[in-house]
Amino acid sequence: MIRFENVTKVYDQNVRPALDDVSLEIDRGEFAFLVGASGSGKSTFLRLVLKEDRATSGAVYVAGQNVAKISSWRVPRLRRGIGVVFQDFRLLPQKNVFANVAFAMQVIGKSRSVIRDTVPEVLKTVGLEGKEHRMPHELSGGEQQRVAIARAVVNRPGILLADEPTGNLDPTTSMGIMGVLDKINQNGTTVVMATHDDDIVNEMRKRVVELKNGVVIRDEAKALYTSMIPIVGQSRRLKDASGREDPPPSPEDQGLHPGEEQR
Amino acid sequence: MRLAFILGEIGSGLRRNLSMVVSVILVTFVSLTFVGAAGMLQLQINQMKGYWYDKVQVAIFLCSDGSTAAGCAGGPVTPEQQESIKTLLQSPAVAQYINDFQFESKDEAYKHFKDQFSNSPIVDSVTPDQLPASFRINMKDPQKYQIISETFSSQPGVETVIDQRQLLERLFSAMNAASLVAVSIAGVMIVCAILLIATTIRLSAFSRRRETGIMRLVGASKTVIQLPFILEGVIAAVIGAALASGTLWAVAHFFLGEYLSKQYPDTAFISPGQTLILAPALLILGGSLAGLSSLLTLRRYLRV
Ligand SMILES: Nc1ncnc2c1ncn2[C@@H]1O[C@H](COP(=O)(O)OP(=O)(O)OP(=O)(O)O)[C@@H](O)[C@H]1O
Ligand SMILES: [Mg+2]
Repeated sequence: MIRFENVTKVYDQNVRPALDDVSLEIDRGEFAFLVGASGSGKSTFLRLVLKEDRATSGAVYVAGQNVAKISSWRVPRLRRGIGVVFQDFRLLPQKNVFANVAFAMQVIGKSRSVIRDTVPEVLKTVGLEGKEHRMPHELSGGEQQRVAIARAVVNRPGILLADEPTGNLDPTTSMGIMGVLDKINQNGTTVVMATHDDDIVNEMRKRVVELKNGVVIRDEAKALYTSMIPIVGQSRRLKDASGREDPPPSPEDQGLHPGEEQR
Repeated sequence: MRLAFILGEIGSGLRRNLSMVVSVILVTFVSLTFVGAAGMLQLQINQMKGYWYDKVQVAIFLCSDGSTAAGCAGGPVTPEQQESIKTLLQSPAVAQYINDFQFESKDEAYKHFKDQFSNSPIVDSVTPDQLPASFRINMKDPQKYQIISETFSSQPGVETVIDQRQLLERLFSAMNAASLVAVSIAGVMIVCAILLIATTIRLSAFSRRRETGIMRLVGASKTVIQLPFILEGVIAAVIGAALASGTLWAVAHFFLGEYLSKQYPDTAFISPGQTLILAPALLILGGSLAGLSSLLTLRRYLRV
């Protein structure tokens, strides 16, 4: 469903690449975690899938299509096939739950009757039945994230990308969200989730792709957040090779989610 | 559905940015009024040129019933006098200065008069026999008017010889200068309008960046994302253009029609209806300027 072939992404010539020669395939219907320290390139990976940015070299395939070859007027069609969820929910504050989800259908021209039928169904899937008329500020963080997930999947995308969707939530609420994502995955949607949350990864036992300084250092099925195989030596070598320390996690990193600045 | 959605977006955009939208309306209104004023002056010049202006330079008016000029002491022109004037015009001495000439009978004069003064109440009070017949002369060299005037003024049956073009030319050059000033002011105002529209659209895009960001992520097309912004600017500018058209119409109706035409009954003024020719041009000009400047602004400030 998603295939990276020797993908390198350089934002700034003077800094090491955000992604460095990444080759990776995620199959249809798979559930994969992207883990790694802050600045390791997780969000960059997701941005490349969305064609928010273009790879400096290498090729990104989504649903068999090389995204570099998609002309700009067909990018919307690519994005209709991909749902996205972020740490900060990004709901429209002046619209209620129903309207927030319906918005994603309105803007791609779905008819009123289809919207009326589909939205309640999706809200039920994410566990929000009966809360259609609440405003976002009347919801808990977990509920807001469920609305965001409902909006991301209401057009039935084949892929769901989640960038730290549980980053603002407590462990119990996070597990609830994971239940929703798992359910969506069970329905056949490919899910890729970038996360720092070790409890969740350990609990789910799904495929784990670990990035470090833009390099894939681990790709294991049914894995844990930290590998059982010692990789300390390997990462030390990588660090030495790049000649740089990990950038310390900083609040600015939060600003690097796809496209936030541009809007 | 999508149309309803776009219309809703436009409505909320206009409401959210009300003060900016009002200023866009006013600036386009003022600038297009100046453009329209220049257009009106040109229409007025055309109106005053009448039937003969572009064809001839000099008119020899013949005596008619009411003529009081010294040359008309013998009453209206006789067919013999008219014939001898014509012969003189064809004689080599005169013919070397003129390209050709035409005779305008009283009836033809009345017809041309009616066309030119169609907007004026004066038409109803004039009859064909009040208007003089005339010879209309197209000069080889318009500067040689003096020769024609000297030759014909003293001829029996000639009331007066007029260099029509020279009379009007001075007035027209003043009016042309005025329309040039109007166009220059309009130019400056249009630059203001374009910049203001760009700023308004930029603010609008900024205040709705959440919505547009989500639209982008869920795969809304470029059209759906951009059209509300573009139409917002276009609608404001078109309202301004409509106000400008209305103002021009009002000027033609109340100032020219009701006031000036009473002060100067012997001048042909344009009718309010004629100013409406300018309206579509103003609407298209306003709309396309706004559309273009919004489009360019969005290219920079709204990623899609
Ligand atoms: N738009 C950008 N312009 C320049 N550099 C960028 C940009 N986006 C990301 N980077 C850089 O690329 C590297 C990878 O960033 P990325 O956001 O992919 O990391 P991440 O793994 O998502 O981190 P986090 O866990 O903190 O979200 C970082 O060093 C970052 O500084
Ligand atoms: Mg990130």
